[in-house]
Order: sequence, then C-alpha cells, then structure tokens
Amino acid sequence: MGVLKRFTKAVDGTIPVPALLYEDEDLLASQEGVGIYDGTEKSPKHQNGTIYTTTHRLFYIDHSHARSRSFALDLSHVSRTDYYAGLFTSSPKIMLYLHANSTSRSSNISGAELETWECEVCSYKNPPGLSPAASKVCGLCGVPRTSVKNSSIHPTPIPTRLKQPSMSTHLSTSLPSSTANLHTHTSPSSSPSGDVATGQDGEIPCPACTFLNHPSLLTCEICGTTLPRPNGVSRHLAARSAPSSRPITPSADDDKDEDDVDDTSEASRLIRLSFRKGGDKAFYAVLRRSLLGKAWETKHLGGSRRSVTQHTNSGRGGINSLLRTVENTTASNQSNMENALQDLESLAVKAREMVRMAEELNERLTAVTASSSNNTMTGSAVIEPEEATFIRSSLSQLGLQMTNAPVTLDMIRDERRWHEELARELSGVLQGNGSSWKRPGDDGEQTSGGMMRKRGIIALDEVWGGWNRARGVALIPPSTFLLVLPHLPSYTSPPIHMRTFSSSGLSVLHTPPYTKAAFAARMVGLLTLAGPRTTVEVAQEEQLPIGLAQEMVIEVEDAGEICRDEGGSGVGIFAGRDGSGEVRWWVNIFKGYVWDGQEG
Amino acid sequence: MSLSPHTTPSGNLLLGFLLPSIHAAPPFFTQQPNPATQAIVTEQWSRLILSYARHRQLFTVRVEDAEVTGGEWDEILRNDRINRRLRSSHLAYILEQMAAKNQLVYDPPKQSRSALLYWRTPEEWAEVLHEWASTTGQLNTILTFYEIIEPPVPSPLSGIPMQILRKAIHILTKTNRAQIIAVADGEGVRFLPGNAGK
Repeated sequence: MGVLKRFTKAVDGTIPVPALLYEDEDLLASQEGVGIYDGTEKSPKHQNGTIYTTTHRLFYIDHSHARSRSFALDLSHVSRTDYYAGLFTSSPKIMLYLHANSTSRSSNISGAELETWECEVCSYKNPPGLSPAASKVCGLCGVPRTSVKNSSIHPTPIPTRLKQPSMSTHLSTSLPSSTANLHTHTSPSSSPSGDVATGQDGEIPCPACTFLNHPSLLTCEICGTTLPRPNGVSRHLAARSAPSSRPITPSADDDKDEDDVDDTSEASRLIRLSFRKGGDKAFYAVLRRSLLGKAWETKHLGGSRRSVTQHTNSGRGGINSLLRTVENTTASNQSNMENALQDLESLAVKAREMVRMAEELNERLTAVTASSSNNTMTGSAVIEPEEATFIRSSLSQLGLQMTNAPVTLDMIRDERRWHEELARELSGVLQGNGSSWKRPGDDGEQTSGGMMRKRGIIALDEVWGGWNRARGVALIPPSTFLLVLPHLPSYTSPPIHMRTFSSSGLSVLHTPPYTKAAFAARMVGLLTLAGPRTTVEVAQEEQLPIGLAQEMVIEVEDAGEICRDEGGSGVGIFAGRDGSGEVRWWVNIFKGYVWDGQEG
Repeated sequence: MSLSPHTTPSGNLLLGFLLPSIHAAPPFFTQQPNPATQAIVTEQWSRLILSYARHRQLFTVRVEDAEVTGGEWDEILRNDRINRRLRSSHLAYILEQMAAKNQLVYDPPKQSRSALLYWRTPEEWAEVLHEWASTTGQLNTILTFYEIIEPPVPSPLSGIPMQILRKAIHILTKTNRAQIIAVADGEGVRFLPGNAGK
C-alpha cells in the first residue's frame, strides 16, 4: 500500500491513455487483466485493470473504478526489474524494484505540465504537455526554468527530501511546480520562510527589477511585472508543509504502518504486476526496452538541481545550443540532399538497366511470335500474340519501348553520330515511318502519322515537347535539339528545314511548300486571284495558326511581294467600316508602276 | 484590282485634274513598312502633289491638310471612292522626303508642318518671271513686288509667294537681268533685257 502511495500518482482512468501522455511521450504497449501487488501483498483495489507502458511511465487503468483507482508510475523510479514466469495457479509476474531515494516528487509539478510558461531568457512560450523533465527546460534555448533565480542556490542534499515522502499527496494537486522547486532548494535547516528566493519578511523580489515586494502583492509595485506566484502560495506551503521539515515524517491516515517500514527494505520498494491473462513476456520486453531507453533522462533533471546546473554549464543552454541546433540542421539537410542525389543517380542507372532488359524481353517476344507463327496449329500460338501485346503495351506505358528504343548518348559514343541518330529518330517522330514509334496500345492513326503528317509547318517548341514525350526517358535538352536540327533534312522526305522568323525570332520546322519563296508565290497567287485578303483569311486559306500566318506574311512583305492597306485610314465617320483597321494585303501594286496621271 | 485614272470633277474639263490610277488603290494611302515599297509610294506621292500643285497653282502644303477636310488639297489627300485618306504622319514623312530632294522648302524654316512647294525651281521661276516681264512689255519699268504677285491681268506668277519671288529676282540680278531698287513704300524691281535665257 505504502509503496503505491509513495511512488504513484493518481490519474483519471476514464480519460483514454493517449490523452494522458506528455507530448514527448509515446505509448509502447498495453496488457489487460493485470493485478497489482503493493510490496508483497495484493493491493485489493487494483486487481483487474489494464497496464500501459510508455517511454516515461507505467499506467494502471482499473476496469471497475477507472476514475478513482487508476494510477501512473514514473519509470524513472524503477531501479531494477525482475520476471517471474508463474507456477501452477500463480500468474506470471513482473517485479519492479524502485529507487530507495526517490519518491513521486516529480509528479508534484502536475500543474506545471498543463500550463504554458515563458522562458525568462529567450521569452519563448513553452507549450504545455511536455513531460516533467522536459517542461523544466526551455524548449528553445535549453535554459532551465526558473534557473535564473535558482542557479546560484546549492542543491538540497537528497536526505532532506527523504524525510518528506508523504508530502507528495498534499502538494501534488495544489502546488505549481515552481513552488516545489523553490521548496526543494530550501536548505536543510531552514523553514520555508527562510527561502532564499524570498526576502526577509516573506518579501518577494521582482524578477525584473529585483524590488522586494510585499508578500500579498501579485504584481511588482515598481514595474508591474507579475510576481512569481509561488511566493504567494509559499506561505500556505509554509503552513502546510511545516511538518515536512521535522525529522520525523508525520504519517498520513492510511499509511501509518508502512511509513515506519525501513526504506531500505526491498518489500517497501517493490511493486509487482501480475499478468492474469498472459501477455507478460511481450510486455516485459517492451518495458525493459523502455527502461533502457531512459527517455525521461534525455531531458531529465531529476530531483537534483545539481544536474540541471551541470547541464547548463555543459553548454546545453544559451546561444551555444542555438548555434549547435542550426549546425545540426544544416548538416542533416546536407546529408539528406546527398542521399537524395545518390538515390537519383542509382535510379538513372537502374533505368538504363531496365531499358536494356525490356529490350531483351521485347526481342524474345518477337522471336517467340515469329516462331509460333510458323506452327499456327498449336493452341499456344493463338494466345501468344495477346500476351506479347500486353507485355509490350505495358512496356510502352512505362516508357520502355524497344524496337524503337530511345537513342541515348550511352548507346552511341561519337557525338556526331549521336546527333545523326537523333535526327533519324526525330524524323520518325515528325513524319512517322511505319513501324517505328508505333505504340502498340494506341490506335495507329494517331501515332503512325507523325507530328507533321498533316501539317507542313510546326513550331519548334511543339516539336521539342512532342519528341520528348515520345521518348519518355533520357529527354533531349534544347541545346542538343538545336544541334540535331541541321541533320534533319537528310533523314526526312520531303526534307524538313528549320526557319526562323526575323520579326519575332520564332523558329519553325517546315516542309518545302513553306519556304519563303514558295509561300510568297502562293500568297501572291492567292491575292491576284481572290483580291485583297486579311491575315486571318490567309491563315484560313493556308490552314495555319493566325500567329504563324502573320509571321509568314510579314516575311513576304519584307520581300516586297505584297503591300499593305491599313483600313483604319478611312474617310469620315465610317472610317472603320471595312475591317476596322485590320490590315488587308495587296499584291505589290507599286512595283513597276508607271505614272498615268496628269502630265505637266 | 483594275485601277484606272480618274478625273476630278471640277466642272470644266480644262480644270479637271487627271488623278493617277494608283490613287484608287488603298495601299497607296498606307505607309508601307517595306522601305523599297515605301520609296515608290513616296515618289508617286511627290509627283502627285507637285503636279496637282502646279495644276491648281498651289504653293503651300501643310501637314494639317491631311487632317482637316474642305481644304484645297482634299482631292488628292483623300479618296472618298475607296474610303481612304492620307494620314498626317504619312504626309509629314512624304514632305520630309520631298524637302530632301529640294522639291519643297519648309516655310517658315526650322519646322516641318508647312512648306513651300517648288513645283518650279527658283531658277525656273526666274525664267518665267523674266519672260512675263518682257512679254508684257514691262522691261526697264520699276515694279513693286505687290504688282508682280497680284497683277491686274492674271499671270503665271499670280499668287507667287514672296519668298520664291525674292529668290527668283535674286537669281536674275546675278545675271544682270533685274535690279532691286528701294522705293518709297518698300522694294521694287526693274527688269533689264538680259542676254541670257531665251
């Protein structure tokens, strides 16, 4: 009984356990059907419940009286564990031996973990919900909470606290953590009124201006800073905890007997978990791992203020830690980036391998199809092509099509030859040369034609995009694309040339009918036959995009084959009547014009 | 596209002006971006303006003439039949080109909004002037400038701008065929039977 009382802290078991956890605490395992032995005897109130282990604590949630009988035990109290496998009717048990010199004191700051507090050094607002250890240290700068005030204070020798074990039950619910902390640092002989943090007559030094305020004031008389609340409470503490400084611990009602038991005896520090429904081994393993992990120690300040000071001195706080954090972040970013790049590289290697394998597969399929077509009588011959088609379409969906594998630089070493090969490939994309670039899954009409099957002229960017889409892998950069283009005419029929419009710099690929001269001749013919035409009409006639037609018409104009009539220069109020300023193109009527007006 | 010359409706046939066929072509009224094409356009416009000016005895042309209707240049700067007119910017460009060819001179100088047309050069004017003086028997007679510009009997010189007249007389004085004489109310000129010309 006494052991449970001293080391555990009541929790409301109606709240789901995950909601009880600190923010830095993880739920690891649970097991129902567990009974608790307080010392060597069964604890009658805790005989059927579920036990949870987390990185920081053990929870016991009672089945019948979840609200009143549940409790939590900090794993930091556990010094040693033992396992009893069970015998006949005796259930397997886990023995938890607790530290002789620790109590559930750390649970005193139950209030603290639920409130936001502001670091006095960096003004970081620490969120609530961290474990007691973590909440004692500022999450940003690592400076311990209230350490400004207390860092100069010598830590209280441990025995002092041993003499006040029963206090926890009184303090735990009502006192904020700093009260406890302040009290912890009370020198062994001193009464609470002698607390260093307070003035002679209980006056409270302002944390901002150090003015000693009257104890009943809540805010500093001089600067208005909120005074540390604990001091106000500490008077209550003084009244209430007066017995604690007495050498002999006053006994609470229900633990009279046990308190007299020698602290050093094992039984007084033993809690046993009895697993009535099994699951003991797994649970024990998890528990041991949790104990070894000592998650509470990563930020553990323990009951000893000394450790805090040491942590602080060792550079955990202040600007050093900030700098170190930044360094760590940079380093981890760097390594992440490197890893990612390595992954990418290996991916590229794999892709090449896959291309090769797909090629082999495709060849084999072709061979099989060819051989099976020889003996069409067998049943498999009927099925084979379907499968082959399926595999090939799958490959093509992955961008791995083989009879027409994208040409990559790896395949051809010589750069010039590479460009020529690319030109050959591009010619296939543009003009569609039968077998090449036919995707098995697609309907032939769309792909076998090539991009320029129906169009005589096509913008360069569209070609580039279409080509790369067709390649799927090992995309061609624009620079290479431009290098390939000069080779193109020798691989295309009719030859496809590149042409750049001087006015806008737009580049296009075109077939012979779209050369400057051919187009000019065609346009002059059109204008001669059909009369003046606007650009839009020309575009319609030529089935070209209007922008492209505009470019080409302007080139013709530059050549002096045509001239323009800007309709906007009309007469009178109907100036914009025809075409409203739209340019109409005329054959160049000025060329060879002879004056036929008034002479003399 | 079949363009034909057109005679301006001026009531009587003698005064009608034969517009060139190109005047009926809409592109003629557009400033062409192609420099070669525009050169032809400018050349034809220059010729049209000068011949029209000679026909109508017009000496000045202003850029504004392309914008305001009802002016004496309407017949050529506009073509209502094809609903086109010459833009003032285009006219200004043409005038600039004409000035470069000494077909006109900006008047007053140092601006480019209005100009005197040289449909006869000052040298030609000098000859015309001398011939007029001799044919009308006014050699050795002192004439004021006013009498030359607005003679009682209309002459080829009627309405000639003072600047052109002055230049013409200046040219004649150099060959001793005229003499500028200061008279009471300004300047006068006496034409002498010269040896040059004729």
